[in-house]
Amino acid sequence: MPTVRIRDASEYPKEIQQLFERSKEWFNFDFSQPPAMSRVMAWDLEFGAPHGVAMRRAAQPGEFSRAEKEMVAAVVSGVNACDY
Amino acid sequence: MAEDAYWYEAAFVAGITNALNVAADGLITPAGALIEPVDETAAKENTQSVFAEIRDFYGEPEVPVVFRVMARDPIYLASFWKALRHAFSDNALPRRVKDALAFAVSLTTRSAFGTTFHLAQMRRRGVTDAGVMEVVGVTQMFSSYTKIADTLQLQPDMGHIAPADSSGVPGQ
Repeated sequence: MPTVRIRDASEYPKEIQQLFERSKEWFNFDFSQPPAMSRVMAWDLEFGAPHGVAMRRAAQPGEFSRAEKEMVAAVVSGVNACDY
Repeated sequence: MAEDAYWYEAAFVAGITNALNVAADGLITPAGALIEPVDETAAKENTQSVFAEIRDFYGEPEVPVVFRVMARDPIYLASFWKALRHAFSDNALPRRVKDALAFAVSLTTRSAFGTTFHLAQMRRRGVTDAGVMEVVGVTQMFSSYTKIADTLQLQPDMGHIAPADSSGVPGQ
Protein backbone atom coordinates (compact mmCIF):
# COMPACT_ATOMS: atom_id res chain seq x y z
CA MET A 1 0.00 0.00 0.00
CA PRO A 2 1.29 3.49 -0.75
CA THR A 3 2.49 5.44 2.28
CA VAL A 4 0.38 8.41 1.13
CA ARG A 5 -3.14 8.66 -0.23
CA ILE A 6 -2.80 9.14 -3.97
CA ARG A 7 -5.26 11.91 -4.71
CA ASP A 8 -7.86 11.56 -7.40
CA ALA A 9 -7.17 13.85 -10.37
CA SER A 10 -10.38 15.76 -9.60
CA GLU A 11 -8.92 16.85 -6.23
CA TYR A 12 -6.19 18.85 -7.96
CA PRO A 13 -6.64 22.49 -9.09
CA LYS A 14 -7.84 23.08 -12.64
CA GLU A 15 -4.42 24.18 -13.96
CA ILE A 16 -2.85 20.95 -12.73
CA GLN A 17 -5.64 18.93 -14.32
CA GLN A 18 -4.60 20.54 -17.59
CA LEU A 19 -1.09 19.20 -16.99
CA PHE A 20 -2.57 15.75 -16.50
CA GLU A 21 -4.08 16.06 -19.96
CA ARG A 22 -0.56 16.55 -21.29
CA SER A 23 0.56 13.29 -19.69
CA LYS A 24 -2.08 11.52 -21.82
CA GLU A 25 -0.39 12.99 -24.88
CA TRP A 26 3.07 12.06 -23.61
CA PHE A 27 2.08 8.45 -23.02
CA ASN A 28 -0.34 8.43 -25.96
CA PHE A 29 -2.90 6.73 -23.74
CA ASP A 30 -6.27 7.90 -22.48
CA PHE A 31 -5.97 7.17 -18.75
CA SER A 32 -9.12 7.14 -16.62
CA GLN A 33 -6.79 8.51 -13.91
CA PRO A 34 -3.33 9.92 -14.55
CA PRO A 35 -0.51 7.56 -13.47
CA ALA A 36 0.15 7.65 -9.74
CA MET A 37 3.58 9.10 -10.37
CA SER A 38 2.09 12.04 -12.31
CA ARG A 39 -0.24 12.75 -9.42
CA VAL A 40 2.65 12.48 -6.94
CA MET A 41 4.79 14.91 -8.90
CA ALA A 42 1.86 17.33 -9.14
CA TRP A 43 1.70 17.48 -5.34
CA ASP A 44 4.48 20.07 -5.35
CA LEU A 45 4.93 21.66 -8.75
CA GLU A 46 8.02 23.56 -7.67
CA PHE A 47 9.69 20.15 -7.59
CA GLY A 48 7.52 18.20 -10.00
CA ALA A 49 7.49 20.68 -12.86
CA PRO A 50 11.26 21.07 -13.34
CA HIS A 51 11.74 17.36 -12.62
CA GLY A 52 9.23 16.61 -15.39
CA VAL A 53 10.91 19.01 -17.79
CA ALA A 54 14.28 17.35 -17.11
CA MET A 55 12.72 13.94 -17.64
CA ARG A 56 11.06 14.89 -20.93
CA ARG A 57 14.26 16.58 -22.04
CA ALA A 58 16.23 13.40 -21.31
CA ALA A 59 13.61 11.17 -22.95
CA GLN A 60 13.14 13.11 -26.17
CA PRO A 61 14.52 11.51 -29.34
CA GLY A 62 18.14 12.32 -30.12
CA GLU A 63 20.88 9.89 -30.97
CA PHE A 64 18.66 7.33 -29.25
CA SER A 65 14.96 7.02 -30.02
CA ARG A 66 12.32 7.48 -27.37
CA ALA A 67 11.62 3.74 -27.44
CA GLU A 68 15.31 2.97 -26.89
CA LYS A 69 15.32 5.40 -23.98
CA GLU A 70 12.24 3.74 -22.48
CA MET A 71 14.27 0.55 -22.56
CA VAL A 72 17.14 2.28 -20.73
CA ALA A 73 14.57 3.44 -18.17
CA ALA A 74 13.30 -0.12 -17.81
CA VAL A 75 16.73 -1.60 -17.07
CA VAL A 76 17.53 1.23 -14.65
CA SER A 77 14.24 0.50 -12.86
CA GLY A 78 15.05 -3.20 -12.95
CA VAL A 79 18.49 -2.90 -11.37
CA ASN A 80 17.02 -0.50 -8.83
CA ALA A 81 14.52 -3.29 -8.05
CA CYS A 82 11.62 -0.90 -8.52
CA ASP A 83 8.26 -2.55 -9.25
CA TYR A 84 6.58 0.69 -10.22
CA MET B 1 9.05 -1.95 -29.25
CA ALA B 2 5.96 -3.96 -28.45
CA GLU B 3 7.45 -7.36 -29.17
CA ASP B 4 8.66 -9.30 -26.16
CA ALA B 5 11.95 -10.12 -27.92
CA TYR B 6 13.22 -6.60 -27.18
CA TRP B 7 12.50 -6.99 -23.49
CA TYR B 8 13.98 -10.47 -23.19
CA GLU B 9 17.14 -9.21 -24.85
CA ALA B 10 17.30 -6.12 -22.61
CA ALA B 11 16.87 -8.32 -19.52
CA PHE B 12 19.61 -10.71 -20.62
CA VAL B 13 21.98 -7.78 -21.27
CA ALA B 14 21.20 -6.33 -17.82
CA GLY B 15 21.82 -9.68 -16.15
CA ILE B 16 25.06 -10.66 -17.84
CA THR B 17 26.41 -7.10 -17.53
CA ASN B 18 25.85 -7.24 -13.80
CA ALA B 19 27.54 -10.64 -13.67
CA LEU B 20 30.64 -9.34 -15.43
CA ASN B 21 30.73 -6.19 -13.31
CA VAL B 22 30.49 -8.14 -10.04
CA ALA B 23 33.65 -10.07 -10.85
CA ALA B 24 35.51 -7.12 -12.38
CA ASP B 25 34.77 -4.67 -9.58
CA GLY B 26 35.13 -7.24 -6.84
CA LEU B 27 38.25 -9.09 -7.89
CA ILE B 28 40.33 -6.45 -9.64
CA THR B 29 41.69 -3.72 -7.40
CA PRO B 30 44.00 -0.80 -8.19
CA ALA B 31 46.77 -2.93 -6.68
CA GLY B 32 46.01 -5.76 -9.07
CA ALA B 33 43.79 -8.81 -9.42
CA LEU B 34 42.99 -10.68 -6.20
CA ILE B 35 43.20 -13.93 -8.16
CA GLU B 36 46.05 -14.41 -10.58
CA PRO B 37 44.79 -13.93 -14.16
CA VAL B 38 45.69 -16.44 -16.85
CA ASP B 39 48.46 -15.14 -19.08
CA GLU B 40 47.15 -14.48 -22.60
CA THR B 41 50.09 -16.14 -24.28
CA ALA B 42 50.40 -19.06 -21.88
CA ALA B 43 46.73 -20.13 -22.02
CA LYS B 44 45.76 -23.48 -23.49
CA GLU B 45 44.51 -23.63 -27.07
CA ASN B 46 40.77 -23.59 -26.28
CA THR B 47 41.18 -20.61 -23.99
CA GLN B 48 43.37 -18.85 -26.56
CA SER B 49 40.50 -19.24 -28.98
CA VAL B 50 38.05 -17.64 -26.52
CA PHE B 51 40.54 -14.84 -25.83
CA ALA B 52 40.80 -14.20 -29.57
CA GLU B 53 37.01 -13.93 -29.83
CA ILE B 54 36.92 -11.51 -26.89
CA ARG B 55 39.59 -9.27 -28.41
CA ASP B 56 37.78 -9.31 -31.73
CA PHE B 57 34.32 -8.70 -30.25
CA TYR B 58 35.46 -5.67 -28.28
CA GLY B 59 38.04 -4.44 -30.78
CA GLU B 60 40.63 -4.36 -28.02
CA PRO B 61 44.27 -5.41 -28.36
CA GLU B 62 44.17 -7.10 -24.95
CA VAL B 63 41.65 -9.29 -23.17
CA PRO B 64 40.12 -7.42 -20.20
CA VAL B 65 41.63 -8.79 -17.00
CA VAL B 66 38.29 -9.99 -15.66
CA PHE B 67 38.05 -12.56 -18.47
CA ARG B 68 41.60 -13.70 -17.77
CA VAL B 69 40.67 -14.26 -14.14
CA MET B 70 37.59 -16.21 -15.20
CA ALA B 71 39.86 -18.28 -17.45
CA ARG B 72 41.12 -20.03 -14.32
CA ASP B 73 38.21 -22.32 -15.16
CA PRO B 74 38.34 -22.54 -18.97
CA ILE B 75 34.99 -24.35 -19.29
CA TYR B 76 33.28 -21.75 -17.13
CA LEU B 77 34.84 -18.89 -19.14
CA ALA B 78 33.87 -20.48 -22.46
CA SER B 79 30.24 -20.89 -21.39
CA PHE B 80 30.02 -17.45 -19.81
CA TRP B 81 31.55 -15.85 -22.87
CA LYS B 82 29.17 -17.69 -25.21
CA ALA B 83 26.19 -16.37 -23.25
CA LEU B 84 27.61 -12.84 -23.05
CA ARG B 85 28.51 -12.69 -26.73
CA HIS B 86 25.03 -13.89 -27.68
CA ALA B 87 23.37 -11.38 -25.35
CA PHE B 88 25.32 -8.48 -26.86
CA SER B 89 25.14 -9.51 -30.51
CA ASP B 90 22.90 -7.68 -32.97
CA ASN B 91 19.46 -9.24 -32.85
CA ALA B 92 16.07 -7.57 -32.26
CA LEU B 93 18.07 -4.89 -30.47
CA PRO B 94 21.24 -3.62 -32.13
CA ARG B 95 24.53 -3.85 -30.28
CA ARG B 96 24.68 -0.07 -30.03
CA VAL B 97 21.51 -0.07 -27.89
CA LYS B 98 22.73 -3.04 -25.88
CA ASP B 99 25.94 -1.17 -25.03
CA ALA B 100 23.81 1.79 -23.94
CA LEU B 101 21.73 -0.50 -21.72
CA ALA B 102 24.88 -2.02 -20.22
CA PHE B 103 26.28 1.46 -19.62
CA ALA B 104 23.05 2.47 -17.85
CA VAL B 105 23.10 -0.70 -15.73
CA SER B 106 26.75 -0.08 -14.81
CA LEU B 107 26.14 3.57 -13.96
CA THR B 108 23.14 2.68 -11.82
CA THR B 109 25.01 -0.04 -9.94
CA ARG B 110 28.08 2.20 -9.52
CA SER B 111 30.29 -0.23 -11.37
CA ALA B 112 33.54 1.57 -12.17
CA PHE B 113 34.58 -1.24 -14.50
CA GLY B 114 31.26 -1.47 -16.34
CA THR B 115 30.82 2.29 -16.70
CA THR B 116 34.26 2.74 -18.24
CA PHE B 117 34.09 -0.40 -20.33
CA HIS B 118 30.65 0.16 -21.85
CA LEU B 119 31.26 3.88 -22.34
CA ALA B 120 34.22 2.91 -24.51
CA GLN B 121 32.07 0.39 -26.39
CA MET B 122 29.35 3.00 -26.98
CA ARG B 123 31.93 5.39 -28.39
CA ARG B 124 33.31 2.61 -30.55
CA ARG B 125 29.82 2.25 -32.05
CA GLY B 126 29.76 5.98 -32.89
CA VAL B 127 27.78 7.35 -29.96
CA THR B 128 28.90 10.93 -29.31
CA ASP B 129 29.16 12.73 -25.96
CA ALA B 130 25.66 14.11 -26.63
CA GLY B 131 24.32 10.60 -27.06
CA VAL B 132 26.10 9.44 -23.92
CA MET B 133 24.54 12.32 -22.01
CA GLU B 134 21.11 11.27 -23.28
CA VAL B 135 21.61 7.89 -21.63
CA VAL B 136 23.03 9.54 -18.49
CA GLY B 137 19.96 11.81 -18.34
CA VAL B 138 17.47 8.94 -18.60
CA THR B 139 19.49 6.95 -16.07
CA GLN B 140 19.49 9.85 -13.63
CA MET B 141 15.82 10.71 -14.00
CA PHE B 142 14.64 7.14 -13.64
CA SER B 143 16.98 6.64 -10.69
CA SER B 144 15.03 9.54 -9.20
CA TYR B 145 11.58 8.21 -10.18
CA THR B 146 12.31 4.76 -8.83
CA LYS B 147 13.37 6.10 -5.43
CA ILE B 148 10.31 8.37 -5.22
CA ALA B 149 8.05 5.46 -6.18
CA ASP B 150 9.74 3.12 -3.70
CA THR B 151 9.69 5.64 -0.86
CA LEU B 152 5.96 6.13 -1.36
CA GLN B 153 5.48 2.41 -2.11
CA LEU B 154 3.51 3.16 -5.26
CA GLN B 155 1.85 0.22 -6.95
CA PRO B 156 2.43 -0.37 -10.68
CA ASP B 157 -0.43 1.22 -12.61
CA MET B 158 0.84 1.46 -16.17
CA GLY B 159 1.46 -2.13 -17.16
CA HIS B 160 -1.86 -2.38 -18.97
CA ILE B 161 -1.17 0.44 -21.43
CA ALA B 162 1.15 -1.68 -23.60
CA PRO B 163 -0.29 -4.42 -25.82
CA ALA B 164 0.71 -7.98 -24.89
CA ASP B 165 2.79 -9.96 -27.37
CA SER B 166 0.79 -13.09 -28.13
CA SER B 167 3.42 -14.68 -30.39
CA GLY B 168 5.01 -17.96 -29.36
CA VAL B 169 8.48 -18.95 -28.26
CA PRO B 170 11.18 -18.48 -30.95
CA GLY B 171 11.94 -21.67 -32.83
CA GLN B 172 8.66 -23.37 -31.93
